[in-house]
Amino acid sequence: MLRIEELAHRYAGAAQPALDGVSLTLARGRVLGLLGPNGAGKTTLIAHLAGLLPVRSGRILLDGEPLAAARARAPARITLAPQEYAFYPMLSVRENLSCFAAASRLAGPRREARIAASLAFTQLERFAATRAEHLSGGLKRRLNLAIALLPEPELILLDEPTVGVDPQSRAFLLDAVRALAGAGCGVLYTSHYIEEIEAIADDVAILDHGRILRHAPLAALLAAGPARLALRIAPGHDGLDALLARWGTAQAGRDGEIVLDLRADATPAAVLQALAASGIAPHEIRYGQQDLEQLFMQLTHRSLRDD
Amino acid sequence: MLAALIRKELLALLRDPHGLAALFVMPAAFIVIMSLALQDTYRPATRQLAYAVASADSGEPAQTLLARWRATHGEPVALPADPREALTSGRLGYVLSVTPDFSASVSQLTLPPGVKARLETDPGLAHALFRSLEAELAAAVGELRADAVQERFTGLVTPGANAIARLVGAERASAGARPTAVQQNVPAWLVFGMFFVVTAIASLFVQETRDGTLARLLTLGVPRRVQVLAKALPYLGVNAIQAALMLTVGVWLMPLLGGDRLQLAGIHWPALLLVLAATSGAAIGFALLVACLVRTHAQAAALGASCNLLMAAIGGIMVPVFVMPPAMQAAATWSPMNWALDGFLQVLLRDGDLTAVLPAVARLGAFALVMWLAALLLFRHRTRQA
Repeated sequence: MLRIEELAHRYAGAAQPALDGVSLTLARGRVLGLLGPNGAGKTTLIAHLAGLLPVRSGRILLDGEPLAAARARAPARITLAPQEYAFYPMLSVRENLSCFAAASRLAGPRREARIAASLAFTQLERFAATRAEHLSGGLKRRLNLAIALLPEPELILLDEPTVGVDPQSRAFLLDAVRALAGAGCGVLYTSHYIEEIEAIADDVAILDHGRILRHAPLAALLAAGPARLALRIAPGHDGLDALLARWGTAQAGRDGEIVLDLRADATPAAVLQALAASGIAPHEIRYGQQDLEQLFMQLTHRSLRDD
Repeated sequence: MLAALIRKELLALLRDPHGLAALFVMPAAFIVIMSLALQDTYRPATRQLAYAVASADSGEPAQTLLARWRATHGEPVALPADPREALTSGRLGYVLSVTPDFSASVSQLTLPPGVKARLETDPGLAHALFRSLEAELAAAVGELRADAVQERFTGLVTPGANAIARLVGAERASAGARPTAVQQNVPAWLVFGMFFVVTAIASLFVQETRDGTLARLLTLGVPRRVQVLAKALPYLGVNAIQAALMLTVGVWLMPLLGGDRLQLAGIHWPALLLVLAATSGAAIGFALLVACLVRTHAQAAALGASCNLLMAAIGGIMVPVFVMPPAMQAAATWSPMNWALDGFLQVLLRDGDLTAVLPAVARLGAFALVMWLAALLLFRHRTRQA
C-alpha cells in the first residue's frame, strides 16, 4: 500500500507551491487515475514517487515504511514509464531491455526470464531485433511500458502512456494496464484523455494548484453529483428557462445543449411532461449521472492553463 | 550493472558514424594534412629548388664555386630569357649570378668594391630558406677566398673541397628521432583528438537528460557514480584506440604519402603510456564537466568545440610554441593540451623517461582529479533538482 500524507513541495524561487498538502493512497491491484490541468503538480508528484525529488514536507510511506528507506533497500519496487520515449533509440528492443534489466539489478536466468516476459506482455517479440528508432509510435509506447515492467514492480507510474498512438495501440495499452492491475500491481495513471481514466481507473484523484480536489472511487465520484438531463431543443421558446428552473439548475452545455441538474425530488418524466404541455419537443434527450469530464471541468474551471 | 551500461555506451558510439569520424578520422586527417603541409618547415628543401646560373667568368675560382654548388644543389636549369619573370612567377627558385671579375677579385688582399656573387630568389621563398641559401653562398665564397689567398701568399694548396663544412657541425641534442613535421604533428593532433571526446560525451548526457533515460536510470536506483563511470570508462578505450591509430598513421601511412616516418625506436614506452593515461584522464574529466554544465545539444557542440579550439590554439597544437612570442609562450603553459603535448614531445623528441614526463603527468593528473570531482558534484546537484 502506498500512502501519501500532506506532501508539499515548492521549487526554488517559485511563488506558489507545486504541491500543497497532497494526501493519497494507492493499493495493489488498483488503478488510480490522476487528473489535473497543465501545471497542476502531477509531474512533481510523480517525481517524488519515483525517487527523483526528496520528500521535504509530508510523508510517503510504502507498506508503512518511508519511501526513501524502502527505495534504498529495493529501488525497483516502484517503476516509472515517463511521458518521453525513455530508452536508447540506437539500440534494439532487446538491447534496451537487457540494459535496463541490468540497471534493475536483474542477473542470470532471471534477467532472461523477465526480458522474455516483458516482451511477451507487450507483444514485442517480433520486434526484439529492431532498433528502437525504427519503431512506430505505438510500438515505442509498448517498449516504454515493457522496460518499466522488467523488475516486476509492485507499483508502476504511467505518465501519459498513450500520447501519440493510434486507437488500436491505445486499446492494447489500456487492456495491458487493466491486466497489470489484475495481476496485483498498483498503477498510478496520468492522462489528459479523461475517457481513458473513466475506462480503466478504480479510483480517481483530481489535482489542481498542488491540491487534491477530489479523491474517491470512480463510481462514488460520479454518483456524488446530481442526476443530469441533457436536452437539445430548437431555439425560440419563450419561458423555457423559467420552466426548467422549476426542476433544477440549467446551464449551457456543448454545442447548444441545455444541461439540467435535477433537484432531488425531480424526475426526468416530470420535466418531459412539462415541456410537452408547453408545446416544446426536444429532438435529443440524454439522462444519467454527470461524467468525469464535466466534474473535472467544474472543479478546475474552464480557464486555459498556460503554465 | 556497470558492464551493461558500458556496453550500451559502446553500442551507441559504434552506431554513430559521424561521432566515430569526429573521434578517429578527423585527428588522423589533421596529422596527414598538417605533416605534409609543414614538412619543409622542419626540413628546408633547399636542395630541391630549381635554380639557374648567370656567369660570364671562366676563371678557376668561379668554375670551382659553381661546381661545388652543383654538387650540393643539383644541376641548374637553363637560364631563362627573362629570369626576373621566371622568379616572380615561381617557375624558378633562384638565380645564382657571378660577375665577370669574380675570379680576379676573390684572391685580392684588399677586396674590390661591389657584390661579386649574388642570389636573386623567388619573392615567395620562405625566409628560412632565403637565409640558408645566403649563408651557404657566403661560406662557399669565403672558403674559395681563403684557399686563394693562402695559395697566393704561401704556395700551399688546400686539398679537397668543402673543408669548412667538414669543420662545422650542427645537430639537435637528441640521441633519438630528429624533429620532423610528423614527429611534431602526431602527438599534437593526437592530444587534440583525445580532448575531442568532449562533444560525444556531452551530447550523450544531453540526450539522456532530454529523453528521460537519465530519470529512468535514477528511478531504478543506478548510483550516480556508476552512471558517470559508465560514460567515462568507454572513452578511456576510445582514447587508447585513438593513440594506436595516430601512431600507426605516423609510422606506416605518412611514409607511403611521401612524408617522414614517425620514429618510435628507442623511446621509453612506459613514459609514453603514462603520458597517454594522464592525457586521457584529463580529457575525459574535462568532457564530463562540460557535459554536466550544458543543457542542450547546441550548447554541447558550441562549448565543447570552442573550448577545445581555444586550448589547442593557446597550447601549441595548431601553431608550435617555439614560433610564438614570449607572452604567448607563457600563456601556452596554462593549457592542459600544452602539458600533454609537452609530455609526448619529452618522450618522442627528447628521449624522456618517467622522470622527464613527471611534471607534465603531475599537472595533467591534478587537472583530471579536479575535473572529475567537479563533474561528479555537479551531476549530483543537477539530478537532485530534477
